[in-house]
Amino acid sequence: MEKKLEKKIIIKVSEVSKSFNNNVVLKDINFQLLEGESLAIIGESGSGKSVLLKNIIGLLLPDKGSIQINDNEMVHLNKKLKEKILLDLGITFQHGALFDSLKVWENIIFKIANKEKINTKQGKQIALSIIEDLGLQPNILDLYPSEISGGMQKRVAIARAICGNPKILLFDEPTSGLDPVTGSLIDKLIKKAVSRIGGSAITITHDMASVCRIADKVILIDKQTISWSGTPKQMFDSENEKIQKFIKTINSDFFLND
Amino acid sequence: MLDFFLNFLGTTGKKFITFVSNIGHFFIFFANTIYWIIRPPWYFKRILQQIIDIGYFSLPVVGLTTFFSGMVLALQTYNGFNEINSETTVARIVLTSIIRELGPVLTGLMVAGRIGAKMAAEIATMKVTEQIDALETLGTRPMQYLIAPKIIAALICIPLLVLIGNTIGILGGYVIAIYKLNFNPSMYIYATMEYLQLIDIIQGTVKAAVFGIIISMVSCYFGFNATKGAEGVGFATTSSVVISSVMILTSTYVITALFFG
Repeated sequence: MEKKLEKKIIIKVSEVSKSFNNNVVLKDINFQLLEGESLAIIGESGSGKSVLLKNIIGLLLPDKGSIQINDNEMVHLNKKLKEKILLDLGITFQHGALFDSLKVWENIIFKIANKEKINTKQGKQIALSIIEDLGLQPNILDLYPSEISGGMQKRVAIARAICGNPKILLFDEPTSGLDPVTGSLIDKLIKKAVSRIGGSAITITHDMASVCRIADKVILIDKQTISWSGTPKQMFDSENEKIQKFIKTINSDFFLND
Repeated sequence: MLDFFLNFLGTTGKKFITFVSNIGHFFIFFANTIYWIIRPPWYFKRILQQIIDIGYFSLPVVGLTTFFSGMVLALQTYNGFNEINSETTVARIVLTSIIRELGPVLTGLMVAGRIGAKMAAEIATMKVTEQIDALETLGTRPMQYLIAPKIIAALICIPLLVLIGNTIGILGGYVIAIYKLNFNPSMYIYATMEYLQLIDIIQGTVKAAVFGIIISMVSCYFGFNATKGAEGVGFATTSSVVISSVMILTSTYVITALFFG
């Protein structure tokens, strides 16, 4: 019998709970992200998806539970070590969170420019090599984020996240506020980015078309806990009421195109 | 009646606790900022950008304000003292008022309005659009990258702005004294130089440095702790200008009392 190779656990979230002023947002959350896996976390607005992401990356401290990244316990880890671990993560935020005062190329190379001295020419070259893969034109490099469209900003945010080849990518609602065509393009870029670095990814979204395109595994957060988990294929057979509701939101165009 | 009284006590107590907690948070923020100012690396490019923004671009507004204040002061002093030895009196009052109080306070208020509001709005916008969170995840400490350069620049620029503002204010008084009141220029300059005291310059500079800390710390604090989207940005901006202005006017009395009280 062929022995199945066990994949390495990249992120392990165990019994994580978080509340704000007696308002429980997350309760006993457990899941794992394996090496090379693309995990989608779905849930309604306000279900605590982004709070979970902020707990994983250490911007929020869980009330209880454990979060491990590459076997390093993140909760209560000292700031210096946490920063070191975070450097191997590429993160995009819900609204892009590009730095307004910096040009596009400065935004993209921000992380690596903090570690080593990079001159303007080198910086632009590094940024150019990344944005070409993401379908962006070189002429945007010298523009400020406010001078480019929302879709371009999302792509630049992805470029910033993958710069430096981090092994773990975390995307918070990468397609929110975008038209379906641009959304589909962003999904393809995420897939491309994940395969380019050969890493693992967590995508937080409530866009089911996006989930079907990019995820290997899906978890649903509902009423503060994980109420369902499975593969995108299993979603369609699920009797879970919330999953059914989410599936109904998939535009018929998605099936035609994909 | 008892319910009303208990409710009143409850609300007042809660507000007082919030107030004390906010003061505590501010002092923790203050101590943290000092720590990150001292610790390398220092972002010299950002400090220079802030110096240009705070110092250079505030020059027109500070210059105009102090120039016209000097002019008004000379005119009003002359009207009040035209019976007695007005040349020396006008020169002395213009000089002392500008150097000791008007120069630092007007400069402080103008910078609080222009730069304080800008700092608070900029940092608050970064906070509500997750740019500060992004900074942390990109291996940069927001206190060191965002806050420290602003505090350092304010500490350097505001005393310099006050010195320039003082000079322009005295010049404003001179223009009125010579061209409107027809005073003798050399007599006026002689009287001004005679009454120029080192202690007044030191006191004005100390005030300017204190105002620099007040404006930058208060503005950064409100910006850094902004919440609730656009409303939060508005609240941070207004609060920073109002509280900086009140603190400037309060601290100017304390410093004057310490030097001359």
